[in-house]
Formats: sequence, C-alpha cells, structure tokens
Amino acid sequence: MLNLLRWFVFSIAVLAMNFPVIVTMITSFKSARELSLNPGFWIGEPTLENYTRVLGETDRFNIYGYLFNSTIASLIGTGLAIALAFPAAYAIARSEAGKRTLLPLIINLRAVPLIIFAIPLYMMYQWLGLLDTQLGLGLILTIVNTPLALVILVNAISEVPSELDEAAKMDGASSWQVMLMIIRPVVRPALVTTFIFGFITAWNEFLFGLMLTTSRAVPMTVGASFFFAASGGGVQWGTASAVMVLGALPPALLGLLMYRQISASLTAGAVKG
Amino acid sequence: MAIVNRAEGRAYLTPLVGFLLFFLGFPAAVNLVYSISTVSFETLRSPSLSGLGNYAAVLADREFWGAVSFSMRFGVLTALAECLIGLFLAVFLTPLLAKRSYLMAPLMLPLMVAPAMIGLMYRLVLHEFAGPVPYYLFEWFGDSPAFLDVDNAFRTLLVVEILQWTPFAFLLFYMAYAAIPLEVREAASLDGASALKALWWIELPLMLPTLVIAFFIRFIDGFRVFDNVYALTGSGAGGSTTSLSIYIYQAFFKGGAIGKAVAASVVLFLASLAVLYGLNWITGRGRR
Repeated sequence: MLNLLRWFVFSIAVLAMNFPVIVTMITSFKSARELSLNPGFWIGEPTLENYTRVLGETDRFNIYGYLFNSTIASLIGTGLAIALAFPAAYAIARSEAGKRTLLPLIINLRAVPLIIFAIPLYMMYQWLGLLDTQLGLGLILTIVNTPLALVILVNAISEVPSELDEAAKMDGASSWQVMLMIIRPVVRPALVTTFIFGFITAWNEFLFGLMLTTSRAVPMTVGASFFFAASGGGVQWGTASAVMVLGALPPALLGLLMYRQISASLTAGAVKG
Repeated sequence: MAIVNRAEGRAYLTPLVGFLLFFLGFPAAVNLVYSISTVSFETLRSPSLSGLGNYAAVLADREFWGAVSFSMRFGVLTALAECLIGLFLAVFLTPLLAKRSYLMAPLMLPLMVAPAMIGLMYRLVLHEFAGPVPYYLFEWFGDSPAFLDVDNAFRTLLVVEILQWTPFAFLLFYMAYAAIPLEVREAASLDGASALKALWWIELPLMLPTLVIAFFIRFIDGFRVFDNVYALTGSGAGGSTTSLSIYIYQAFFKGGAIGKAVAASVVLFLASLAVLYGLNWITGRGRR
C-alpha cells in the first residue's frame, strides 16, 4: 500500500518537474492547424513538418550554425578548463602549494554571480576583438567550468595512493611524467565525468552568450530565443518547439547516459566544496 | 617527502592562476576604477575619477532596491521550497529508488536542460492560445489567470525555478540519506524508536550539514537568477520581475549607465562575499 503511494508520488514529481519538456515535445509533433484547435496533451495527427522546416529552411535562422557554435564553444570551455585544472589539481593534491588559499578561493568562485565581471569583460573583448567569436565565448565558459573541474580532480587525485607516484619517481620519472603517465590513466573516469558535466554546463550557459555574441557565434540557448521574437504572424509554436527539442537534446542525452557519474560528482562538488 | 616540490607545484598552478587573473582579476580592477569614475561609452579609456557618486546614485535608485528585494525574496523562497520538497522526496522515495537506480534518470532530467530553454518552454506552456495549462483551466473551470502579469509573475517564476531545481536538493539529500551508516539505523530501531522519531532525532541531525549547504547553494543561485526570468518575462511588467542580475544587465545594455551598472556589480560582489563568509562560518562551526 505504502509502496503504491511511493510510485504515485514519484510519478507526480517526474511529471511536474519535466512538465515544460513534455509539453514542448508534444507540441513539436503538431501541425499549426492542429495546435490552433487542440493545445492539449493529445496529438491527433502526429507530423514531422516542424522538424523538416527547422532543419530545411536555414536562410533566416540557421539552427546548424547555433548547434555548431555551441559545440565549439563548449568544447573549448571544457577542454581548456580541464587542461588548466588538471596540473593545478595534481599540485594541490601532491604538495602544499595552493591548498591553503587558492583552492578555497576558486571553489568560492562558484558562488560569485559572474554577471559582476560581465561589463568589464564586454569592454575587454571589444578591445581584443573577441566579441561575437566562438573562442571568446569558450574562454568565458572555461571560467564557468574551472571551479567544479578543480574540485572533482583534486578529490580524484587525492584518492590515488601516493605510493604509486613514489614508485614511479624511484624509477626516475619526473613529476611531469608521473602526472601524465601514472595519474592521468588512473583518474580517467573523473576526467570523463568532468568533461561531460562541463560540456552540459557550457552548453546550457545563457548570460554570456547573450552579452558577448550577436550573430556569428550565437550559441543554441540564445539562438532558440530568436524563434520567439514574434515577427508579423506571431510565434510559430510548432517550429519553436522543434528548435527547443533539438537544442536541449545534446546535453539531455549526455546527462541521461551519464547520470550516475554526474550525481556523484555533483554531490562531491557541493559537499566537499 | 612531498612528491611534487614547492617550485614544481607553483609551476603547475601558474597557468590556472594566470588565466583567472587575466579574466577575473583584471575585470574586477576595472570594476573598482569605473565604479568611482564618470564614464560613458565615449570615454571608456579615460575615465575621470569622481568619488562615490555612482554608489550614491545606485543606493538612491528605487529600482535597485526593488531588484534587491526581488532577488532576496526569490532566493529565500525558492531555496526553502526546494529543500523541503527535495528532503521529502529523498526520504519518502528512498525505498523505491534504492533498488531501481534507473528511476533517478527522469528525476535528474530537469537539471540537464538549460534554464533559459525552460523559461522559453514555459512561454509555450502558459500561452493563452497555444499553451495546455490555460487551455485545460478554461475547459475545466471556465477561467484562467494571466500567469505573467504584474500580480502573478513573481509566483509563476517561483514555481518555474522550484520545479527545475528541486531535483538538485533532492539529489544531495538522497546521497546524504543513503550515507547514514546502517548501524546507526539498526541501533535506533533496537532502542524502539519509531521511523518518524528516528528521522527527526537521528537522521535529520546527521543530514544537517548537507541541508545547510543545499540551502545556501540554492539561495545563491536563486538570488543571482537571470536566465529563466529573462527568457520568460524579461524585466516584467513595470519592472516587477527585475532581479539584481537583470538590473545590472539592463543598466548597462539598455540604459548605457556604465558607472551605475558597475557600482551595482561591486555592491553585489560585496553581498555575495558576505553570504560566503557566513556559509564558511556556519559549516566551519558545524564540523568542529
């Protein structure tokens, strides 16, 4: 009996929390004619016309461009964050350097509203010519990703027994070699998690995409909002829904594939950080 | 003997530190200088120092205090609701989820979707002609409120934020609840404690640090909210949904008031430092 109640609560929670996603998916399979008659949950005549329009007509809004920009910027933002955080995490885990001040400082960075840096960054980007570039957006995403990457990697490297390093050093390996050839393969799962989580975070970022890009480097989150800028005939809800489904798909798929690792690192980041 | 000596350690840290100094340290310095200067888009490179005028202008601005109030209420109410619902779900659903971990996936899905996208999706969900919520409310009750007008926008946004981020609180509590050692639970039931008593007197106190941390994380995220609010209502009718982040964004991009926007940024920075200091103080005490 109690178990039945648990299933009931679970179903309500899943439906309520995923409600906008479910509605958007349903709407994306409705024709404009059907939507005007039936905005409910039932699909009378499922159609793919919204998707063919979004993927076919690319003269005004180019969804391939947004997806491409998001991919490149997120790859830069995640790859660079790991490249910077991994050696730093190694140093923090294996020596005294940075443990006292740098680590807490960077962890606390996660709680600082990044908008306070947005205005000077905007002006800096203007001078450097980084406005509206994928590289510029990727560099900001690096900052967004660095704190959690550092926490996850410091935790992972600290758990590797240091006898492993010492044995390699006895054999004459430099610490650089130890880091790349001993530590890196051992903590590979943590590196993968960091990458997946960072990629999702970067893909879903909105504020800096909105401020720092205008046309050439617009990411998917910002591009999706263009489809809502009513032009003449109002919003094409079917088309807009298809855009949102396609734009939300990459992080959602990654997340669903890796939800175990992600939940573990989320909690590690929160509790130890 | 440290495996990485001091000099090597510094070398490994240098790229990260350099990067952060360039992308955050320099902007922070610019913020401080501009916040005490008269500056416009024409005089970006030669700001003239003018004292605390920008701060006075910000602190005298009713819209600024409106934004502070919005962010404060939004942060506290969403964090509270997310923690309460998340805690209930974690405790109540654990028997169900412990054996079937795949059920976690649909509960975590909202965390994978961009808040900005969620905001856009609610534009559809709540739209008076195309949205299912007003449609069914009309079908069943013959009336539907205007979810995004001045009176209701705040409540609507609360619900939007809470539904997306309750899974985060839930996840933290679920892990903390599962981490309570089995012996503790057995000892409690041997002593004849009922499940409710054990929860209140033993399990919740053990989860307290996680509760505090989850509340603060959610409060900070709610306080600095931008994406979903901006995508759903913008600054809202009559500025009714202007969060502090949106205030800064508007002052800079719409108003061109650089000095004011930057001064507001510094105020926000100081406020977040105070919150962080408070959090570290509380959790530090808890650990001792």
